[in-house]
Amino acid sequence: MLQQLEELEQSALRELSAVADADALEQWRIAYVGAKGKLKSMAAGLKDVPREEKPAVGKRLNEVKQAIEGAFESKKNELGSGGAPKCSGPMLDLTEPGLVPAIGRRHVLSRVRDELVDVFGRMGFSVAQGPELEDDEHNFVKLNIPAEHPAREASENFYIEEQSASAEPRMLRSQTSTVQIRVMENHQPPLKIISPGRVYRPDTVDATHSFMFHQLEGLYVDRNVTMVDLKTTLFQFARSYFGPEAEVRLVPSYFPFTEPSAEFYMKIRLRQDKPPEWVELGGCGMVDPAVFEAVGYDPEEWQGFAFGFGIERIAMGKYGVPDIRMLFENDVRFLSQL
Amino acid sequence: MLTSVSWLNKYLEPAGLSADEVAAALERAGFPVEGREDRPDGDVVLDVELTSNRGDCLSHVGLAREVAAATRRKVKLPTIPFDIESGPGSSTRAESVTDVENTTPAVCPRFTARVIRGVKVGPSPKWLRDALEAIGQRSINNVVDASNYVLFELGQPTHTFDLNTLAGPRIVVRWAKDKEKFLALDGHEHTLRTDELVVADAERAVSLAGVIGGEDTSVTEKTTDVLLEAATWDPATIRRAARRLKISTDAGHRFERTVDPRTIDFAAARCAALILDMAGGELLDGVIDRGRDAAPRTVIDLRPRRCDQILGIVVPPAEMVNHLEAIDIQTGMTDEGQTLRCTLPAHRPDLVREIDLIEEVVRIHGFDHIPIEEKMPVEVKPLQTEERAMRELGSVLTGMGFFETITFSFVRPDEADLFMPPGLRTLKVHEERRKGEPALRPSVIPSLLRCRKVNQDGGVRQAGGVRLFEAASVYAETDDGRTIENRNLALLMDAPEAQHAWRELRGVIEACAHAMGGAEATIEVEPAPPVFPACRANAHALVRLNGMHLGYIALLTDEALTKYDLSTPVAFAELNLPALLEQFPPKANVESLGAFPAIERDLSVVVDEGAAWASIEEAVQGAKPALLEGVQFVGVYRGKQVGAGKKSVTFRMRFRDPARTLRHEEVDPQIESVVNALSGKVGATLRA
Repeated sequence: MLQQLEELEQSALRELSAVADADALEQWRIAYVGAKGKLKSMAAGLKDVPREEKPAVGKRLNEVKQAIEGAFESKKNELGSGGAPKCSGPMLDLTEPGLVPAIGRRHVLSRVRDELVDVFGRMGFSVAQGPELEDDEHNFVKLNIPAEHPAREASENFYIEEQSASAEPRMLRSQTSTVQIRVMENHQPPLKIISPGRVYRPDTVDATHSFMFHQLEGLYVDRNVTMVDLKTTLFQFARSYFGPEAEVRLVPSYFPFTEPSAEFYMKIRLRQDKPPEWVELGGCGMVDPAVFEAVGYDPEEWQGFAFGFGIERIAMGKYGVPDIRMLFENDVRFLSQL
Repeated sequence: MLTSVSWLNKYLEPAGLSADEVAAALERAGFPVEGREDRPDGDVVLDVELTSNRGDCLSHVGLAREVAAATRRKVKLPTIPFDIESGPGSSTRAESVTDVENTTPAVCPRFTARVIRGVKVGPSPKWLRDALEAIGQRSINNVVDASNYVLFELGQPTHTFDLNTLAGPRIVVRWAKDKEKFLALDGHEHTLRTDELVVADAERAVSLAGVIGGEDTSVTEKTTDVLLEAATWDPATIRRAARRLKISTDAGHRFERTVDPRTIDFAAARCAALILDMAGGELLDGVIDRGRDAAPRTVIDLRPRRCDQILGIVVPPAEMVNHLEAIDIQTGMTDEGQTLRCTLPAHRPDLVREIDLIEEVVRIHGFDHIPIEEKMPVEVKPLQTEERAMRELGSVLTGMGFFETITFSFVRPDEADLFMPPGLRTLKVHEERRKGEPALRPSVIPSLLRCRKVNQDGGVRQAGGVRLFEAASVYAETDDGRTIENRNLALLMDAPEAQHAWRELRGVIEACAHAMGGAEATIEVEPAPPVFPACRANAHALVRLNGMHLGYIALLTDEALTKYDLSTPVAFAELNLPALLEQFPPKANVESLGAFPAIERDLSVVVDEGAAWASIEEAVQGAKPALLEGVQFVGVYRGKQVGAGKKSVTFRMRFRDPARTLRHEEVDPQIESVVNALSGKVGATLRA
């Protein structure tokens, strides 16, 4: 029996070394390790071996089995990976271009808006939204913009053509500050909100002006909010969004709903290939006491700041869009570039 | 405002500031310089931007005050070589040759007139011509130029009449008569209304108050006697007339921003002195002065502590006093040092409250002295669900090939009509504001159709066709005038093959619903007749989310397709965005997956062309087959074997027993009951 095992191992390994393709390997497998192969019939003969030889023969049988099976596995791998195995299945051209799934893109203004919401969100500001169709009361009166103010001229606003002369004037909001008023009317301080959204002004359209654009407005009201907090907030925003070199400057200005009022400039690198420059970004200031009175807050008890700026300006600068009109054409090829 | 640097330096002590120094001082004080012109004579003209509250700075002296405060200089006003009230001492009283009647002191707080006789009108001296030309003004003659010069020097408009052309000669300040004609200096004859104010003589309007003088009474070469007007007007009245008649003048611009009645005497005397100097003549004794009593000077109390509270820094009271006095505000301490009592100069009518003074303190103190903190305390708030929902929705839609657009909220009225549901009206803005497109859109779809056209013209090709979405407001009003503004999610996609596109768009909506509300969210689609003209008659359905109305799906009519010049049919849907977003976040509902294999059976049944899948599915479910897990639509076949007017619908039923492995023969009875139910409910026969 031991002799037979020896011969089986030798012939199996010898024949295996001559095998050159998958078909021959399969024939070899059937002859040696298949269900009716030589290894199986040898194992069946074990029962006829005298009892005292069984341990030795059994051990040897196991060794031969492992040797043959191990050799088969390595031969199989060798045939699979090397050489020129016979092709099964159709010919492939592995250099053809990829099929890119059709994936759309969110509008660059939405993505910039979301980025801004994230930055201010980290500073504790929550998003508040309000209607675009507004009334005089929220767009002007409660923002301390008196009836004779030039900003209220019909030619400067999109008033709705009313069917009856007595109707309350309605308009498309000319600024997102309307949301400040709506929030303060319905909530008690402290408040820390931003309101991004569409605003409308009948501007002459050119490369930097559109009659519809997006603003982001911020409002923070608490007992001890000061101009230091205003400047710090703008500074932290600038650093966080535009990078560690950003600087902030306030320059005196005038808005009816804030006092003191300022324009804020940021020294920022709007494009990586340009040096940082001072850019006039928006307006800000301490909430005017008249605004607090209009919404029923005691201006001796509460203080706050507000700021606002255009989103297009930032998106155009950051993404190098030369003309604001391109943002509203919605050519898919343009949208894909940003 | 165009500002000559050499002119401005005349009022500074010490003078000699360079253009750069002036520009820097003005910018720090809140007057940004928008432009600069270096003139051949060495002067520099700066274009200074002013805010609407600072009418007092619409003059060289006004800006000189700001530069002086910012650079710690003094302001030196021009000197007048005679008494402002009485003049150099003529023996003839002005009142003896003319008179003034002010019938409207409510809107004309003060009207003053001086008379100069025996002037010699001629060209202005070179210094005056140069000064006016530098700031873009045209020299006319020495009398008119004197008035103009004072306007840009002191900010007070004055007007000179040829006294001998005035009927009377006298002046009446009154409301215009209805349709009263007035020939202005601009050469146009204007027809006035009764809410417009005029300066008239005994017969006719000779000036549109505060805006523009009259042609017939202006000072010319022939003039010998001059009536010099210096007055103040109600800003709103001036603005109304100037806007309606579309007359924009430097005088009107200043009166609209409030000129204080107390500042006009100095300007009028200055103008008279210049005329006497350049054109000779005799200034008659006295001033004809008609109007209300001058208001007392404004006094405001400023609490230094309050100032510090607003600014967040400590400005010592002594420094505050310095800042305020630098801009001509007199101060005195009261309440044992708790309050600064501030008396304001007449040229600052914009300062009326404590907060106005706080702004002046920080403006002069310098915004650059407000510190920035490197760290800030923050209250961490939870993420906002609606913000997260919109981002998730956006990423699901872009993953399905949709591009987000941002389009204008205006459309043409005919476009609004195409998408307007019954019972609602289009809201419009004034036609002049948005030419051709004054309608506020009742639907985002017309805007998306235009985008589709832009992409067609650009030759854009996308696998699966162009797909667009937008989240935006739509507007309308009800018949009783109630405003409607809804935030919609609009979807538009190419539909070269209608049935397939319909299923795809419905699938997109289902994917959105699942992204928002999880696997449990159900979308139902109920075919319904279209409610607005843009939808194809047999291709409009209402969409419900969890049984609640969400929106609609539709195919565009061929007429609308032609109107938008589109070569590919399109399918579109519009959904109520807040209803979708409020489903978020999806509710997790974990169930163990079936441990035993299911049995799937496909059935193909032949039905009439008109039998809807929904009725087939309902019949299958109605048979209540035991252990049925789900019914899945597979496809429809039409052809000769099926027969005309018929279609073969294939669907798959899945059966599963949760407790053990099913055997095939166990579902045979259910199949039979399904076939019977289909035969009974929809007249289906099993396809051979």
